[in-house]
Amino acid sequence: MVTLTVDGIKVSVKKGSSILEAAQVAGVRIPTLCHDKRLIPYGACRLCMVEVTSRGKTRTMPACFNPARDGMEVTSDSPALRSSRRVQLMLLLRSHPLLCPSCDAAGDCELQNLVFEYEVGDLPFARQSRYFHLDNDSSFIRFNMNLCIRCGMCVRICEEVQGQSEISFINRGMNMEVSTDFMRPLECEFCGQCADICPVGAIASKWLVGTGRRFELSHVTTTCSFCGLGCSLTLEEKDQQTVYVNSSPDSPNEGSLCVKGRYGWTYAYSGGRLATPLVKKNGVLTETTWEEALSAVASGFSKIKKDHGPQAIGALGSARMTNEEAFAFNRFVRTVLGTANLDHGASSYGALVDGLAPTLGYPASTNSIREIRNAKVILLVGADLTETHPIAKNEVIMASGRNKAKVIVIDSIKTKLSERDGVFIKTPFGHESAVVFSMLKHILDQEIVDKTAIASKIDGFEKFLESLKDYDPENVATLMGIAPELIHQAAEIYAKAPSAMILISEGSNRAMSNAENGRAAAALAVISGHVGKESCGVMVFGEKSNSQGALDMGLTPKHLPGFGLLEDEEARKKFESLWKTKLPSSAGMNSREILEGAESGAIKGIYLVGENPVDTYPDRVLTEKALNAAEFVVVQDMFFNSTAKMADVVLPACSALEKEGSFTSSERRIQRVRPSTKEKLGRSDLEIFNDLSILMGNASFAYDSPADVMTEISKSVEFYAGVSYDRLGLQGLMWPVKDSSDDGSLFLYGNGYPHGRVKLGPAPELNLPKQESNQFLLVPGITKFHSGSMSTWGKSLLEVCPEPMAQMCSSDMSALGLEDGDTIKVTNDLGDSMKLKVKWSRRPLEKQIVVPYHFPGSKLNKFVKWNEPLAEVKVEKA
Amino acid sequence: MQERDALLKKKVVPSVEVIPPERLKLLDEIIDKYAGSTQNLIPALKEAQELFGYLPMEVQRKLSIGMNIPAPHIYGVVTFYSFFTITPRGRHTIRLCLGTACYVKGSKEILENIIKDVGINVGETSEDGRFTLEAVRCLGACGLAPVMMIGEDTHGNIHPPKTISILDGYQ
Repeated sequence: MVTLTVDGIKVSVKKGSSILEAAQVAGVRIPTLCHDKRLIPYGACRLCMVEVTSRGKTRTMPACFNPARDGMEVTSDSPALRSSRRVQLMLLLRSHPLLCPSCDAAGDCELQNLVFEYEVGDLPFARQSRYFHLDNDSSFIRFNMNLCIRCGMCVRICEEVQGQSEISFINRGMNMEVSTDFMRPLECEFCGQCADICPVGAIASKWLVGTGRRFELSHVTTTCSFCGLGCSLTLEEKDQQTVYVNSSPDSPNEGSLCVKGRYGWTYAYSGGRLATPLVKKNGVLTETTWEEALSAVASGFSKIKKDHGPQAIGALGSARMTNEEAFAFNRFVRTVLGTANLDHGASSYGALVDGLAPTLGYPASTNSIREIRNAKVILLVGADLTETHPIAKNEVIMASGRNKAKVIVIDSIKTKLSERDGVFIKTPFGHESAVVFSMLKHILDQEIVDKTAIASKIDGFEKFLESLKDYDPENVATLMGIAPELIHQAAEIYAKAPSAMILISEGSNRAMSNAENGRAAAALAVISGHVGKESCGVMVFGEKSNSQGALDMGLTPKHLPGFGLLEDEEARKKFESLWKTKLPSSAGMNSREILEGAESGAIKGIYLVGENPVDTYPDRVLTEKALNAAEFVVVQDMFFNSTAKMADVVLPACSALEKEGSFTSSERRIQRVRPSTKEKLGRSDLEIFNDLSILMGNASFAYDSPADVMTEISKSVEFYAGVSYDRLGLQGLMWPVKDSSDDGSLFLYGNGYPHGRVKLGPAPELNLPKQESNQFLLVPGITKFHSGSMSTWGKSLLEVCPEPMAQMCSSDMSALGLEDGDTIKVTNDLGDSMKLKVKWSRRPLEKQIVVPYHFPGSKLNKFVKWNEPLAEVKVEKA
Repeated sequence: MQERDALLKKKVVPSVEVIPPERLKLLDEIIDKYAGSTQNLIPALKEAQELFGYLPMEVQRKLSIGMNIPAPHIYGVVTFYSFFTITPRGRHTIRLCLGTACYVKGSKEILENIIKDVGINVGETSEDGRFTLEAVRCLGACGLAPVMMIGEDTHGNIHPPKTISILDGYQ
């Protein structure tokens, strides 16, 4: 820590902090035009000049990149500094057009504000005009380089934070501008960070051009409804219509958003949204009233309960429900329907529930997202974060860029992050855990382990060690066809690092393999002593916005809210007395078993809330058969999708932009969801559960509002005990929150494990697939432009990613005589085929095609089975 | 002044000439030699330009992928150094002086005549591959203003309407 004074205020800051950061701590504002806390200090604008007196000498220096030192006396404002800043502003104005009255950025322009603040009047020199064409060619973003003040923030955020480097300074000199190579339109991640960070109007979102002044727009702060990272969103609205989305710099995500967060909200305005309930009459779905539809649902389920018993009903929820809705859904299914058969998202929570929880205690990520940037080593186990969780990818880019962290990638495809400094280990899809176990074997052989942890905190270590005997790095490497040195190197880098994090991403395409990945990662972290510390641990990123909350609220076949098991009498008793009903006393069926049960006749009624199994679950044929065979299918969704078309009753649900509640992100952060002023379509899931339970004769089930549910959650779920809506500000709260004075914790297990000790189960038998086949492997991929099948309803994301493109490597493409944009025909053993456009990509390895699964039209899930996440296919030019 | 600057700031049109794949393969040697460090970009670009005569989009893209340097970054370097060019060179390079003395004596009209009659602006090459036009700041012959060099020949005291007849001597 260093201590200095800023304008007479004494402050202590961490060693290495800049004078500017010290001033911010002291509450002194220093003007800047080229600084952002996400970026490396640059010193281009010279507006942050301050006078520093140190060792008897006074000097003027930029505050943004000079480090604070002990005993400095900093003056942020003096006549000389004001005059220096005024001259800097005049020089900027020399070539900046003064068309502020017609500029879209007026009122939201840093330059304008500073020119006003420093009272810059006439320029003492001639103005110089620059002429650049207006570039409207790119999606979402407009370039008007006449307004550029060359602060470089756009170029830097693209390189330092996004790791994309899509724009650069070109034609350097008098006519320098920011553009791409050969001024082509953007072909990037379309995160919009360049437009968001631009202090003037040079790079702007097209949606804001001609919309109105930023200060005329009203603001609603909510949480993003796409992936599990829980970025805070600020919806900017005009005339009850969202026109733009950005994020506050003070939010947990520091103002960074990805393409889905910033531009994906148009799904809520889609013409495919359902507004009125539908009931099947004479085989045709017809529009009806809410009363009729709800009583049809109530009588339908009551009939099945009476005829076949409650165990003939299966319910599938969604990880996009709010915590309150998930809690109410759990209660509705377990008490009103009376069945234990409840699940969500194709059981795609294996890494948490079957991986981390049995080993460490909680099915939750151990640390927080913002700690990744300070980790010295980052191990990605089957996590293509660029495509699945772009904001977490930014953290890895920052760690490996400015902090020189090593990035170890274990994956079946090359990812953007495998190009960073570190190690890339190629594995067969879904067998990433084999490499992690062999890394464990290596560090145990070399004794680079946390011996005290093994001796004092771990149960079952001897058996675990015994089970690792097959995982000799040489053996695993030979079977995979890689060099064993890679595994040695990765293991040693990870184990010797002072701080190291393991990142795993979940998703429907990883449902089959992730439990082992989670177990292996947890074991590696514990044995090498990387748990319970800052910038360590295992992070598992969920695919959907409330992936963590859905587990917290027990949307699985065996759980109750708060991770209590149905089989555990004590946990069951707690909720039986709270809900005043008997609960099922054994675990129910998971999503696969529910669908197979429906096909075989064991399940008669299916209740689908926000879930679209026909388009997103593996094995489309089975799902379609199951929904046809079931007597009574209720779909509660925003859209009239493929699943809704097969339903008996369709209830329109409202979107996350139209309801209240909270989401829990993959870093355990509980954040508020607030409704925008948009007109509400349909009813919220909570309202529907309320109405249905009253119709089905359970009147005690009456929640007045989501806040009411949250009160019940905080009473019944131990680690939510201190949560209430008035405590959930912009930063939210990270559970465990034990009482109303507890501010939550950044990382878990700092003070020991919930069960006292870590339990290591034995590693599974080594079982690697043969790679002799001459056929192509179809790898279901995820693209950063879409999330599940929800985003394909919004027109904005379809603009940049309109159709699934099969990605292939260049040698396969030239072998088949293909060029970018050609069509290929993909056929499996059963003769099912689909036609796709092909695109060259660095991602797939030889004999792989990577196809995103988001597009219902391609019916990709016909090719994958529940137990075979990969399909062998024949690829030919169409 | 503004008019002149406006003349200089036309949007760069990407070169469309296709380099046959077998010629593009020649780049592999340069990539093998220089890949691994961004500091090697300028020597790599220099050798690539010696190989092809200019640095079109395909060459820059291939270098970008091979050396793992973002393509916009490479383009930024190429457009900074006047040594590098992204359009093919003509048979004759016209170096027209736009320095103070020549400008006052009428090199702007010479430039306009070239734009009008040959159809090329500064930095461009005529479609028939005959001329490449470059603007220079001084040729060290201000006494002969306005001055223009074509290849190795220096022409001084040019009467602007005579520009085309001088160019006619170079086919």
